[in-house]
Amino acid sequence: MMASCCIWAQDASVVQVTGDVKQALSLSADDLAKMPRATARTSNNGMETVYEGVWLHDVLKKAGVPEGGELRGKALTTYVLVEAQDGYQVLFSLGELDPAFVDSRILLADTANGKALFGAQGRFRLVAAKDKPGARSVRMLSKIEVVQLRK
Amino acid sequence: MATIAVAADFRWNIPPGFPKPTVPAANPMSEAKVELGRYLFYDQRMSFNGKESCATCHRQELAFTDGRAHAEGATGQAHPRSSMSLVNVAYATSLTWGDPSLHSLEEQALGPMLNVEPVELGLKGHEREYADRLRQEPVYRRLFPLAFPGEAEPYTLPNITKALATFERTIISMRSPYDRYRWSGDSGAISEAAKRGELVFFSSERGRCFRCHDGWNFSSIRYDGSQARADEGGADGFFNTGVSLYTAPNRGAYEYTKRPEDVGKFRAPTLRNIAVTAPYMHDGSLATLEDVIDHYVAGGKYDDANKSNIVRPLKLSDRDKKDLVEFLKSLTDDELLRDPRWSNPWVNR
Repeated sequence: MMASCCIWAQDASVVQVTGDVKQALSLSADDLAKMPRATARTSNNGMETVYEGVWLHDVLKKAGVPEGGELRGKALTTYVLVEAQDGYQVLFSLGELDPAFVDSRILLADTANGKALFGAQGRFRLVAAKDKPGARSVRMLSKIEVVQLRK
Repeated sequence: MATIAVAADFRWNIPPGFPKPTVPAANPMSEAKVELGRYLFYDQRMSFNGKESCATCHRQELAFTDGRAHAEGATGQAHPRSSMSLVNVAYATSLTWGDPSLHSLEEQALGPMLNVEPVELGLKGHEREYADRLRQEPVYRRLFPLAFPGEAEPYTLPNITKALATFERTIISMRSPYDRYRWSGDSGAISEAAKRGELVFFSSERGRCFRCHDGWNFSSIRYDGSQARADEGGADGFFNTGVSLYTAPNRGAYEYTKRPEDVGKFRAPTLRNIAVTAPYMHDGSLATLEDVIDHYVAGGKYDDANKSNIVRPLKLSDRDKKDLVEFLKSLTDDELLRDPRWSNPWVNR
């Protein structure tokens, strides 16, 4: 478990994409603004929020991961570990994030109801709008690590 | 609950973005009914001996709690549990500390009025006298017909509970400093310490508070009627947090469901205005916010098989704990504590 001091050691204003990718990335809100934009809508106890950002898959595509027809064989032993500033981690399989496989629509959001995310949301968060609980909708998102288990 | 309607045209005065409460079709809102409910709420003649009203245990300046570990009835008998805040009760999908099946404010009002173990307002057996008292009071002679138009005999117990429930539905708190920060874009509305405390509150690695006190109302009960986290929290967002040995009559949801796994499970109520609603927990056993935080840092006072796995020791620094307290204080809505629309109308008449 991370001690609270480590919270401030990470740069809150970028998302790092590292690991088994062709191109490691350090994406700011400006970088995300230039990518294809998408939205996801949620309802929390009657309060509606429209998040805007980039599909997580498009971020991974920019970093260069196998996708679509290339996502076969050992590439399908790849996972994506999403980490928050406080050390919270959630794992996705690469297959479940690829729209060629399934329409999971996991959004890397930077905006809610037209305003930049802030506070306990972090500057960036995931929105897994199809999930029933919120546990995979990682707030205060800081790092995305791609790991291929079998090479 | 029977058929539910959303009140479309009643003037709720709710800030943008927040949902409106649902209202039972059998008890639509009206200004007259709200006013009647407010007079009834503050009227000590509702108790058989004239000593207490609803407001005795639900005081506006304490966010509609009473500052006591155990509520006290009109004959001085102590209730086994502490008085709950009525703030945002219109959004609760179940009511009271431990009853997962009590959904109706109208029905809940009968409890304090008629209960005998303990005696609260002590109206059981005195209902007719009470109706007669109402009929003789000019305020009620004006308001009952306005609240229940077309009824030949409006001075009934069901109408009294409808009026009370209608007034309670208007007790809404959404304008704390934290609300201004979080929802209205006022970045200076809360202190830097409170902002740090927010991060502790919403982190599952640090404070973990949001796991039970979640959403815009910081509670476990889902407004949209969906099940809360059934695997950890019980069927309806009730949690055993290791507060006490949980003996009768304070075995929580078990008292109603009789399922052994429900022993010690109580709801996680709203944390809005929590700074003014001490002491804390169903039995008022924790005196201060610092005591509550220490309770959770320790992973609860008692271990028992039903304790939620959300409640386990936390690693918080002294600064984290202070910041968390500052965050919780930022949930205090001064308007709710003082606005005359929720105050005692019998004063200065």
